[in-house]
This record gives sequence, C-alpha cells and structure tokens, in this order.
Amino acid sequence: MAYAYLFKYIIIGDTGVGKSCLLLQFTDKRFQPVHDLTIGVEFGARMITIDGKQIKLQIWDTAGQESFRSITRSYYRGAAGALLVYDITRRDTFNHLTTWLEDARQHSNSNMVIMLIGNKSDLESRREVKKEEGEAFAREHGLIFMETSAKTASNVEEAFINTAKEIYEKIQEGVFDINNEANGIKIGPQHAATNSSLAGGQGGQQAGGGCC
Amino acid sequence: MSDNKSPANDIEDNVEVSAPKEQSPASQDDSSPDSNSDSFADVAPTRKTRRRPENKPPPQETPETAVTSENAAQTPTQTTVSQGSSWGYWGSWGKSILSTATATVATVGQGLSQVIEKAETSLGIPSPEELSAQEEREEKTDAASSSEAEKADEEGYAMGGTMGMLSSSSIGMLSSISSMVQTTSKTVISGGLDALEFIGKKTMDVIAEGDPGFKKTKGLMIRNSTLSQVLREAKEREEQQTTENVASEMEKVAHYGMLFDEFQGLSHLEALELLSRESEAKVKSVLTTLSGDELVQLREELEQIKESFSLMEFDDEEVDDTKDDAGESFEKDLNEALEKLHISSTSERLCKARKNAFSRVTDIKLPTEAKQQEEDGDEQEAAVTKCTVEAAHSSAITSLAELTARSIEQFHKVAEMLLHSNSEEVTALEQAKVLSQITIVLCKEISLLSKRFTACLTTIGSNEKGEVLNPLITGVFLEASNSASYIQDAFQLLMPVLEVSHIQRTVDSGPH
Repeated sequence: MAYAYLFKYIIIGDTGVGKSCLLLQFTDKRFQPVHDLTIGVEFGARMITIDGKQIKLQIWDTAGQESFRSITRSYYRGAAGALLVYDITRRDTFNHLTTWLEDARQHSNSNMVIMLIGNKSDLESRREVKKEEGEAFAREHGLIFMETSAKTASNVEEAFINTAKEIYEKIQEGVFDINNEANGIKIGPQHAATNSSLAGGQGGQQAGGGCC
Repeated sequence: MSDNKSPANDIEDNVEVSAPKEQSPASQDDSSPDSNSDSFADVAPTRKTRRRPENKPPPQETPETAVTSENAAQTPTQTTVSQGSSWGYWGSWGKSILSTATATVATVGQGLSQVIEKAETSLGIPSPEELSAQEEREEKTDAASSSEAEKADEEGYAMGGTMGMLSSSSIGMLSSISSMVQTTSKTVISGGLDALEFIGKKTMDVIAEGDPGFKKTKGLMIRNSTLSQVLREAKEREEQQTTENVASEMEKVAHYGMLFDEFQGLSHLEALELLSRESEAKVKSVLTTLSGDELVQLREELEQIKESFSLMEFDDEEVDDTKDDAGESFEKDLNEALEKLHISSTSERLCKARKNAFSRVTDIKLPTEAKQQEEDGDEQEAAVTKCTVEAAHSSAITSLAELTARSIEQFHKVAEMLLHSNSEEVTALEQAKVLSQITIVLCKEISLLSKRFTACLTTIGSNEKGEVLNPLITGVFLEASNSASYIQDAFQLLMPVLEVSHIQRTVDSGPH
C-alpha cells in the first residue's frame, strides 16, 4: 500500500491509437477490443517496484479527439512522465507527433520524461510506419522509444516501467526537485515518516539524494 | 465580537502571506488581497471561490468572527471527534496541538499580520484599544486551550493568563506574540515566526478539514492548500498509520482517505482543480482586455453567476430519512437536473455507487432483522455474527468514500463537458442554479446514507459497550460531514468553469 514515490503520467496521442487499451492492459492485464471514447481524462493507478522501491504510477489517460485538446492540455501540468502514442498502422497518427510533442513540451515541465510508443505491433501486416522511423523520430527529439501491443501485452509493462526508471534516475541525479509537486512526483508516506509528520513534503531531502 | 472585525481580515492576509513559499508558482499569484469586496477582477484560486460574497449583511458571515466564535464553541466537539474516528489521524500528540492551535490562531494571526504590516517602518506597537481587545481574546482562548490540551495544565493556564496580562502593558506587539508562543509551547516547539506560520497554516487546514461542526462556515475560509492536497495529506497520514501499525487493530479500521483515492476521487478532484484554476486565469485575462460598457456588462453577468454559487445552503436537518424508495427519487432528481444542463453527461457511475452504498446497508440489516424475527436462529445466526460493528462501520466508510468520489467525478465530467460544448439552449446562469440543486441532492443523499448506517450500527451494536460503539458512530457522521463538504467544495470549483463557458458563449453569439 505505502509507496516511496508517486509519479504522475499522462498518455497522449491521436484518437484510436490505443491509449486507453494500453492503460487497461497495464493496470488490469486485459484487453478490450471495443472501447468507449474517452471524455476528457480517465485514470488508472498501479504500483511498480524499481530499485527495491515501491513506486505508485498515477496515470492520466487523455482524450485523443481534437475537440478535447484544449481541455486535455490543462492536464499536462504536473506530469513527470508522458507516453506519446501513435498507431503503426496509421501513418497520419505518426505525422501528428510533432504537434503533440510541441503541445506537451509547452504545457508541462521541461524535465518531463517522454516515451514514444508505436502501438499495435501485433498488426504487422497492416504496418504503415517502420520501426526505424519511430526510432529516428525518438532520437531526434530526445525521447525513449518502444513498439508495443496492448492486445498481446507485448512491451506494455516495459513501456510504463522504463519511463519510471528514467524518472527515477533523474531523481537520483538531482534533476527533479521532488519537493516541487509541479514536477509530478510526490514522496510517499514512508519517506515522509522518517523525517517528521508535520508536513507532507518535508521528507524529501533524505529521499532525494542531494536534490536540493 | 464586533470589534474583532478588522483583525479578521488580517488573519486571512496573514495566513496568505505567511505561507507563499510552500505554494506552487501557479497558486502564488493567487494571494491577492482578499479584503477588497470588489473582488471581481482578482478571481483568485480555489480558496477564493470558496468564499461566500462578503457583502452579506449578517455579522457572523464575516470570516474572522466565524473563526473565533467557532473556536470558542468548538472545543468540546473536537475532543470527541479525535478520540476514535479514523479521521483523527493527528494522533494523540496532534490533538493537543490541534486544540491549542485552533484556539490561538486567531490571536496569533492577528498579531503576526500587524507585524508584517508595520515591518517596513519599525516594530509596530498597536494602539491600546487593539491590545486590550487582543488580551480579552487571548484569555479566552488560553482558557479553552489549556483546559483541553492537557488536563494537568493548570499551571499553563495560570501562565497564559499572566502572559496575557503582560501583553496588555506597554511591552508591545512582540511580547504579546511571544506570550502566545509560550502558552502554546508545551505542545508546539516555538521557533519564532516559523512556528507561527506553521500554526497558522496547519490550523487553517485542520479547522477546515477536521471540524465536523465547521462545515457551514467552511465556505468562508481561505485555505493555503487546495482541497485535493488536504485530502492527499490525510490519505498519506492514514497510509503512514497503517504502515506503522501493521499488526495492530488499526488494520481493521476503514480509512476514508485511502478509499477515496482508490475510487479515483483524488484524481478527479485534482483534474477538476486544474480546470478550475485554468478557467480562473482565463476569466481574469479576458477581463483585462475589456473596458467600458463591455467590461461593466460582463462583470455584472459574472456576478450573477457567482451569486448562484453562494446561495447554496445545505441543511442536513431537513433531510427526510423516512422515505425509502430504493433511490428512485435520487436517480430521477439527478438525471432531470443533468438534463437541464444540456450537456451530454451520464450519471451511470454515480447511480451505481449510490446503489452499492444502499445495498450495503441492506446487507447489514437483513441478517439482523432475520435474527430478531426468529430468535432460535440456526443458519442465519451464523450470518449475524459475521456482521460486526466494525464491519458495518467499514461498510459505511467505504460507501461514503465511493459515493463522494463518484460525486466529484460527476462534477469533473460536468466541467469537461461545459468547456467542451457551448450549449445554446441554456445560459450559464441557469446551469449554475441547476448545479447548485445537484449539490443539494448529493449532500442529502450523503446525509441519508450516514443516517441509515448509524441506525444499523445502533441496532447491531446494542450489546456493545459505549466506548466501542460511539466512536464508530461518530466516525460515520464525521466522514459524512466531510463528504458533504468535499462535494460542496467541488461545486465551488465549477464556478470559474461556468464563467469561462459563459464568456465563450457570449463570444460565439457575437458582440452585443
């Protein structure tokens, strides 16, 4: 139950690329071929372990529809990680990545870790975007990259966990100020307890390894 | 009480001033002066929106008198509250801080803000009138705090009294502050202004979140932290307690905050807060671009919307707990109201939570009633023994947490749809009124639910000792009261959203 850190994630990308399915696969380990359109934002949470530490991922699954864009932008704030998803069987979802990325960079904090995800890797026969293209885009923009399948669960776990590892490393390096909640990281009750129970965020110095 | 009025505004200012470094940049620019009643342009943050308009005539509507009078009247309630409820996460040490700090914050705040005011020139020395008013209040609060904080605190009381007397002499501001610190230092380690800031900040939170009797005046309070922060902190304290007491009986106690989070209540609340804050900023920036008649007209229109947010009064005394219609009227009222909003918003999840909650009541009741009917009881007897008072309490807390989380989810979805679609069929003002009705429907349901559960608890716990049963019942009522407060606060978060929506509609329909 108790966790050392809480990371806020957002999942963004065009409508129908499989954002909600990725989340469902990650949190519930199941696949639902037909999914209602997401309105605004929905949530999921799961506990993972990195470096022996319990980390709670609080995931904000945003609506991909253009008409919700101005609303979902409000949710970027305070995210530590973002999963930027496109559909390897639809070239246009790949072409829109630049817009998504600009949006994300503009409305979130500069340290946010972004994982580029080419989803639906099970549909090899209908592939329109080569894996190399995804890799090149990620390299060019400093993102991590993975191809996943929410249907077969391939790489889904890894996508979420590798993002968390990257965030965790940034914390260790002192890049993230974990006492600033605008960075999308919260310190869990375990750490707060070691310091004092007076105020929630004060346990940071010990946990952060010299972040101040 | 009437001479407390001007310091009252100071209290708020002080709290705002004293804690900005803990705030995120976003909320920092929110700390605009609150004392101006012409607050139209500075549509500040969530806490601003929580306040009822200041131009309400009755004197007890002003924040500070509310705070002080509540404090005076509040102390007995607090003791009972922190005893056994799961919300009493302050623990036993917290209790004494809490009561002392609550009682003293008014005085401390008053002093501190005056210091800040006069810091530029020199150490300010308040007028004799101010000091004597202060002294009166100090003595009052000293009495309340010391008698409660520690039973064997007669010494402290005496000291508090003496120090209070001292402060009335010409020693001035600082001594009066330090006397307050000394009287509280048994529980709070004094660290100069830091300690005062801490007391001020924490007290505002504590008063706001932990005081069951406070809910009516809560809307008047200004908080440093957002609602979701308060709830998150509460949840974290509960988690911490659970960690610390793994093997102990704490494990069995249902934790409202943790459950509320599990039902994604916190996430929806946070998201709603983000939308609300952003909307507020938008309204502000639109207002700065307007001038002349346009500005006057828009201000008037927004003021009307604001008013429908301040009129909402929920009185749970009025809740009729005799009706038993399996929630049909709740669903009907809710869906009718949602329809009037003219946004596509479904109440499915909320209605399901409501059903879950009331079926839990039935689950508790059934075996109990069966037992009463046939005393010889065979298999049913076994079922009865399963439903302990602890289980019933846990059921109640779970239900309240679920229903509240879903209510807040509903408000969050309404906010999204309001921003998403600009309905032509209905005005923002009408929508505001409908939302206020929905809030009342939700709060009534919470109240009804808590009454059902406590009635169950009373029935199945008739053989339990008072010290076992009473804290459980108090706990249910407390969380119900908190639930209603959260729902009302979430409702207040919708105000800037409706304002933006109104502006959008005005723009869409062309200049008038």
